[in-house]
Amino acid sequence: MLRIKNLHVNIQKTSILRDITLHLPDGKIAGLIGRNGAGKTTLLRTVMGLMQPVSGTIHCLDQNMVSVPAHARVRQHFGYMPEDRRLIPELTVEENIMIPAWSSKIPDSRARLAWIYELMPEVGAFRSRRALQLSGGQQKLVALARALMCGTRLLLLDEPFEGIAPALSRRLVEVLGTLKAEGMSVLLSESDYTHSVGLVDKVFVIERGHVTEKSFL
Amino acid sequence: MGSDRTPIFLCAALLLLLVVGLFIPNWLVFLFTISMAKGLVVLGLILLMRTGLVSFGQGLYYCLGGYIVGISGQHWGITDVALVFLLVVLAATLLSSILGLLLCRYREIFFAMLTMAFSMILYGILVKSEKLGSTDGFIIAQATLFGWQPEVEASGTWIFALAVIITLVALLVMHLYFRSPMGFGGEAIRENEIRVEYLGVSPRRLIYIKYVVAAVLAAFGGAITAVAAGHVDPEMAFWATSGEFVFIALLGGTLHVAAPLVGAFLIEIIRTIALDLAPYTWQMILGGSLLLIIFFLPKGLWSLLPKRREEEGL
Repeated sequence: MLRIKNLHVNIQKTSILRDITLHLPDGKIAGLIGRNGAGKTTLLRTVMGLMQPVSGTIHCLDQNMVSVPAHARVRQHFGYMPEDRRLIPELTVEENIMIPAWSSKIPDSRARLAWIYELMPEVGAFRSRRALQLSGGQQKLVALARALMCGTRLLLLDEPFEGIAPALSRRLVEVLGTLKAEGMSVLLSESDYTHSVGLVDKVFVIERGHVTEKSFL
Repeated sequence: MGSDRTPIFLCAALLLLLVVGLFIPNWLVFLFTISMAKGLVVLGLILLMRTGLVSFGQGLYYCLGGYIVGISGQHWGITDVALVFLLVVLAATLLSSILGLLLCRYREIFFAMLTMAFSMILYGILVKSEKLGSTDGFIIAQATLFGWQPEVEASGTWIFALAVIITLVALLVMHLYFRSPMGFGGEAIRENEIRVEYLGVSPRRLIYIKYVVAAVLAAFGGAITAVAAGHVDPEMAFWATSGEFVFIALLGGTLHVAAPLVGAFLIEIIRTIALDLAPYTWQMILGGSLLLIIFFLPKGLWSLLPKRREEEGL
C-alpha cells in the first residue's frame, strides 16, 4: 500500500527526517512511535503532501506520490486526521464530515456517511450539533469520521489518542479495530504503545528524524 | 437562499440611483459614476481580502482598463463601448492569467509587494512611453454605443446609466459567488490554508481564480473611469491609486458586496469637501477620517448594520 524509500525532509534548511524507509502492507495498521520532536507529524504531513521532501520516494499502489499535491491525494482516497483536529467550529458535525465529499465530489458520499454513522453511532447522535459544542474527545471522533469520508484507501492519523479520556480512547481503538477487519490501511502516530498495543500489525520507532527500529508484534 | 433579500435590495437601490441621476447636477452624476467605477475595483479587492490577501497593485488592471479604452479609440478607431469593454475583459483576463500563475504562490506581505511591483512596472512603462502621452496621458475619443453617438452634453448621463447597469450585474454575480462553495473557500483559506488542502481543495487554484476575477473587475472600473473622465494617465497605475482602493476597502468593510460602493462614494464626497475646505491640506482630512474608521469601526462602515443583515448580505 505505502512504500517510503530514502525520504529526507527539511524545514527551513534544518534536517527533520533523515533517510526514512518503511513499508506499510495493504490492509495493515502500523504505529509510528516516537517522542515529541522525533518527526512523526512531519512524516505524516509529508505522506499527505503538505510538506515537500528534499529527496526520496513515497509510493502508494506503485504510484510515486511526491509530485501529487495534497488536495489531489484526497481524490486518491487518502484520509488525514491532524493532531489538533481542526474542525470548523461554526459548522455542524455532519457538515464537517461532508466537506471532503463536497470538495472532491465523492459520488457515494451519502452511503459512506451512513457507513460512518453505523461504525460510530455516537457521531450520528450529535450530527446536528456544531463542532464548537463538542468535547475534545468527541471532536477527535468527528475528525476521524471526516478522514474516513475520503480515506477509503489509506488513513493517516496523527496522535489520535492524545488528550482524550480513557473511555473515548478505548472506543477509538474499537473503531480502528473494525477498520482493520474491513481491510483499511492505517498509519498512526503515538508517543508510546499504551493505546495501540494489540491493534497495530507493525511498529516503526522514529527517533531524531530516523526510523531506528522496525518490528512485528 | 429563500430569505436572501440582497439581490432585491441591490436592484432597488441601483434603479433608484438611476432615476435620481436624472435630476441631480452633472458634478454629482460624475461623482456617482467614479464611485461605482472605484467600487468595482474594491469589490475585486475585497474578494482577495476575504481570502486573507491584500493587493497593493489593483491599479495595474485599473490602468490597463483605462488605457485599453484610450488606445482603442485613439489608435485603433474602436469607440463602441460594448466592443471596447470586451477588449478590456480579454486584456485583463490574459494579463492576470499569466501573473496569477506566479502570484497564487505567495501570501501576506510578499503577495502585497509583488502586486505593487507589477503595477509600478506598468507605471514605469507608461511614463517612458511618449506615444501614450508619457506622464500627461492622453484624451480619449468620445465613446459610442452600437453606432449611436450621444450628444456631448448628455454623455455624462448615459455613461452613468452604463456604470449603474455594469455595477448592478457585477454586484449580483459577486453576491452569488460569495455565497457559493468557492466564495466560502476564500474564508476557509484565510482561516487555515492547510486544512483546505487536506480536505481536497487546491488553495492555489482558488486564489488564482479570485485574482483573475478581481483583475477583470478592476479593469472594468478603469474602463468606466476612462469613459467618464475622457482622459487617462499613468497615475492610474501608481501605488498611491492602489493604496486608495485599500483605503476604500477599509472604509466600507468586507462584509457586503455593496460596502465598496458606499466606501467609494464616501471617500469621493470627503475628498470633494476636503478639497473645498483645505485645498493644500485635504489629505489630512482624508487620513484623519481613515484613522477614525480604524479606531472605532475596524470592520468598516458596514459593521454599523445589525449582524443578521450582515450575514444575509455576504
